Amino acid sequence: MSELLIRTEHITKDYPGTRALDNVTLSFDSGRVHALVGKNGSGKSTLVKIFAGATRSTSGEFFLNDERLNFNSTSDAYEKGIVTVYQEMSLVPGLSVAENIFLGRLPKKSNAIDWRTTYQMAGKLLQKMKADIDPNEKVYRLSMWQSQVVEITKALSFNPKVIMLDEPTSALAQNEVQVLFEAVRALRDQGVVVIYITHKLQELPQIADTVTVLRDGKLVGTVEMSAVEHKDIISMMFGQVQIRSRPQDIQVRDDVVMEVKNLSRAAWYQDVNFKVRAGEVVGIAGMLGSGRTELLRGIFGADPVDSGEVIVEGKVYKQANPIKMVKAGVGLTPENRKIQGLILIHSIRENLCYASMHLTANGWIENKAKRDEFAARQVKELDIKIGDISSPCASLSGGNQQKVVIGNWLNTSPKIMLYDEPSRGIDVSAKQQIFEIIWAEARKGVSTIFVSTELEELLEVCHRILIMRHGKIVDEVNPDTLTTNALYELCMRGEPQNDKHQHQPAGN
Amino acid sequence: MTSISISQPAINRKKVTIFLLDHVIEVCLVVLIIGLAFGANGFLTWANWMNIFRSNSLKGVIAFGMTMVIIAGLIDLSIGSTVGLAGVIVALSCREFTGMGLDLNAACIIGISLSMLLAISVGWFHGFFQHKTGMPAFIVTLVTLNALYGLAGILSGGYPIANQFPEWFNQFGGGRIGGLSGIPIPALVLVGCFLIAFFIMGYTTTGRASYAVGGNPESARLSGINVGKTKIFAFIMVQILAVISGFMTSGQVMAGTYSFGRGWELDVIAAVVVGGTSFTGGVGTIWGTLVGVIFMGVITNGMTLLNFDIYTQYVVKAVIVFLAVLISSYRAQVKA
Repeated sequence: MSELLIRTEHITKDYPGTRALDNVTLSFDSGRVHALVGKNGSGKSTLVKIFAGATRSTSGEFFLNDERLNFNSTSDAYEKGIVTVYQEMSLVPGLSVAENIFLGRLPKKSNAIDWRTTYQMAGKLLQKMKADIDPNEKVYRLSMWQSQVVEITKALSFNPKVIMLDEPTSALAQNEVQVLFEAVRALRDQGVVVIYITHKLQELPQIADTVTVLRDGKLVGTVEMSAVEHKDIISMMFGQVQIRSRPQDIQVRDDVVMEVKNLSRAAWYQDVNFKVRAGEVVGIAGMLGSGRTELLRGIFGADPVDSGEVIVEGKVYKQANPIKMVKAGVGLTPENRKIQGLILIHSIRENLCYASMHLTANGWIENKAKRDEFAARQVKELDIKIGDISSPCASLSGGNQQKVVIGNWLNTSPKIMLYDEPSRGIDVSAKQQIFEIIWAEARKGVSTIFVSTELEELLEVCHRILIMRHGKIVDEVNPDTLTTNALYELCMRGEPQNDKHQHQPAGN
Repeated sequence: MTSISISQPAINRKKVTIFLLDHVIEVCLVVLIIGLAFGANGFLTWANWMNIFRSNSLKGVIAFGMTMVIIAGLIDLSIGSTVGLAGVIVALSCREFTGMGLDLNAACIIGISLSMLLAISVGWFHGFFQHKTGMPAFIVTLVTLNALYGLAGILSGGYPIANQFPEWFNQFGGGRIGGLSGIPIPALVLVGCFLIAFFIMGYTTTGRASYAVGGNPESARLSGINVGKTKIFAFIMVQILAVISGFMTSGQVMAGTYSFGRGWELDVIAAVVVGGTSFTGGVGTIWGTLVGVIFMGVITNGMTLLNFDIYTQYVVKAVIVFLAVLISSYRAQVKA
């Protein structure tokens, strides 16, 4: 097979208010696995979207070999042989593996589906991928890694020139990752350009031949994997990060508001112990899949726990649920505000007062005047930009929606707030406003547990950061004496490639 | 109203559109009434209107409960079977308990209480299992639709149980306040049930919780709303209203018949949908349902007065339901 090359020339992509890609020129050739890395907002997903035809660049060009590409839709990209395997599964669970691979283009013999050929062709493709999967099997019976491999096989069935794999291992267990790597290597050996997007740096030495790093929309560089070390990539990703300082006037008081004792939920988190004091902002840092979201949900009683207890102001909760936790003075802003935090079709006013319903009503009877007062208070205090408080929440921007979720909780006068990724998908100034809210509440003595993927945010916002790896709290650090790179190292440590570091003392 | 908005361009046109879409059924009802007042002889008489109310109250009361259930994101298909079974239980109680030497009035009251107990148990069953297992409300209530219908048939032996009720039981369905041309009691029951449902959905925490649960059950749960309790409440309410309808139906003809109410669920759901309640949950009003019930009643009455045959009536009513759903899906787009 002849050499293939996909390359960009001076690609720039502007979104309202931000420049997602800034004059990026790079190239990926066939026969090698090219890792594309960068923290959130680095522009790597924008680049993938441009290659996939999901969005157009503002300026600049890109080429496959010497042909200039100009995509109006994702089907244009398919036609040119550029396929993307997304981390969300796009398979139909009720159909067989073979049907899924050839969905929409099943081979026919005189207008009837030719099942024999379908299964034969699927079998051959799976063999090429060195995957031991029965083409007759229904997809819902497959494990995660098998589904992921089928997904890649499906991509391969389009005879692609370029395959982009978007976080293919994020849902897989360690041993499953190895099987997936086999499939990726098989793919590479077919002479396809493989672009591998990941946040798991520990995987790179095993799978990547080159690493391309983006930061804040700019290309930092492309390096041969064999020529660099782990820490080089990290400093390429983060650069010199300026951590803004936290206001110094927030006093952590002595009284413990919440104590988490031996909290465990099989496969998610085990034996978690920590205390939170009044006015304290405690961060939890960990990679995706470390169990941080599940831990927060467990503390709040949103999901059942296997054992352990949560003590709020001396009161013990063994199998909590959100109803009890609201009464106890605990609030949770969930990871996904649109599907877990808000009722988008309902008004801003309603959404600000659901959690505090028991406080605004006189027993069973609604007190509408009081409810309106509660809603108006949060709009004012949190500076929520609204047209009409009766319009549906769906009409607000991401940052204002997040403020509504927070306002819904502040109306309950909580003693402790749990924030799960509160800054996801919102702009920089809204982010800063949300931190201000957290600090303002802390000054009043409200405690906070703060979970975020953005490490510099944790360093900025928190008094103390707990490190979570594989469902366990393994360390506790002081953000004032730590750099982003060091925090990243701490979160990654203990992954298989770094076993030798495991018993060394933590970096502070 | 429309003319005002045109003569004053300052008024936000989108707001006017939304207002009209929200109240399209009221506007249609007024137009329909004016049209029939001129076109159909005897339409605008007291007797005719009392007749409309009397005959539509039986399904109408259930429509309020159905509105609550649909707002909470659920559905109850079993209500028709409950209507028949309630009449059978009261009739059987009257016959059996008097046979055991009990006073007829007391026996009837025991029957009424047993029917209410049935409503609560069935509603609880629906809510508990739907919530715990996550099986669709459509299926859970389809099961009870058939089970309760069969149970009514078994209890009654497949025949109407006539002439068992005390005289006063007739008042439920056939009585009037103020003599022969007075206000029918079912119409008063309809108004009473409307007021209660209107209050619950508009002015209580349970009502607001129902909207939240129907709007997004996960957000509602994470806001500390008791989702299971809210669902069970809505399911029990619709069953209680179906039992009340069963008393009126069997009282009207003074017989408990297992097949009363058969097929009503679709008419009831139609009235709710015409009243603007969204099948996706979280959106709808009790007022809209009242208007929907009256609208369906008036159009049926009008078509009868104009000598439309029964089959044409089916087609016309089907078209109305279709248009109502079309408008409400359009409205959802305008708002979003």
